[in-house]
Amino acid sequence: MKPRPPAMREKRRYILVRILPYGLAPDQKDLYLAVIEATTTLLGDLAAGLSQPAVVFCDGGYAIVRCRRGTEGDIATALATVTAIADERAALRTVATSGTIRALKRRIRPIRPLTETGEVMIGKDYFSMHRYPRQKVDLIEKGTMHQKSLFFTETDLEER
Amino acid sequence: MKITDAGVYPYPAGDSTPARMAREARDLGFDSIVAIGGEGSGLHNIDILRGFVITASSQKEVIRQVRKPAARDADVIFVNAGDTSFNRAAVSVEEVHIIRNMHAARRNAFDHVAARSAAEHGTAVDISLCPIIQYRGRRRQIALQRYADILTLHRRYGFLLTISSDARSVLEQRSVREIRGLCALFGMTGAEVAGALSSIGRLIEPARPVRVVG
Repeated sequence: MKPRPPAMREKRRYILVRILPYGLAPDQKDLYLAVIEATTTLLGDLAAGLSQPAVVFCDGGYAIVRCRRGTEGDIATALATVTAIADERAALRTVATSGTIRALKRRIRPIRPLTETGEVMIGKDYFSMHRYPRQKVDLIEKGTMHQKSLFFTETDLEER
Repeated sequence: MKITDAGVYPYPAGDSTPARMAREARDLGFDSIVAIGGEGSGLHNIDILRGFVITASSQKEVIRQVRKPAARDADVIFVNAGDTSFNRAAVSVEEVHIIRNMHAARRNAFDHVAARSAAEHGTAVDISLCPIIQYRGRRRQIALQRYADILTLHRRYGFLLTISSDARSVLEQRSVREIRGLCALFGMTGAEVAGALSSIGRLIEPARPVRVVG
């Protein structure tokens, strides 16, 4: 099939989002399903269908969501209502909107955990520590199912 | 003019410590947060105000609770909304700063009489983003209806509005830009959102006539 000439193609916008909590690496399809669920429940089938949201990139704690030009404001609002990805608690923080994927990829600042890790006991539960830049410490309960997460800072841990 | 998130629940009520929530709020564009059930302090260049929530069924009970030491130590005192007569009475209590939980109240529980009284007494009405973010379906539709109704009364009578994320985790906090988008869903303009985010300062330090001392 012959592709449409550029002037006839639909104009698109791309939204760069950061995925929280750090370390969560969702499958691109799971993220797409979470975005579609949030968009459909907030804006309805009509607006969700016309805005054509899609996830075109998902790696390193960031994702890029594509939509039709003019609907990026509505999609960014819908992204703020995402509370879980594949039953894992999560949040999507809009970083930037652009007309090209390349421009957004330049805005990506990889968030890597610091090598120093450890273990801490809070109450009766054991948590594994994941340290991140700017004194952020995520604590994940040790276990196999439904692990609880706590969000501390270095200062909070020192004071305990 | 400080941009304030008028309600977060830090650890142990939530899963994030006040310091972590303060750091996150700073990144999201806030200058201060009201920690309900937490300690007031200043961390990471952000003010943490102490909030106290009163749940009562009568005005008498509200007055009794605002005299408790915990309420006296608080910077901001909230009252959970109830029925029409309770709300009319609660907004006129001098110590009460904000009436909240309007999304859970019955329709017309906050009417034009309560709105006029709130404007006269300088009491604000809180708009919680939690139902818009967390709820789905009918419950979210009801919350949006309530907020649209409050906005109509706000435009007519001029009482103060506050906006809170009611976040129990850093994952539930939202940026100022996202709040503007969420509030636009029920018709709030950018200027109204900016006014609501900065109204905590006006509540805890209301404008008074200049006094000549000495």
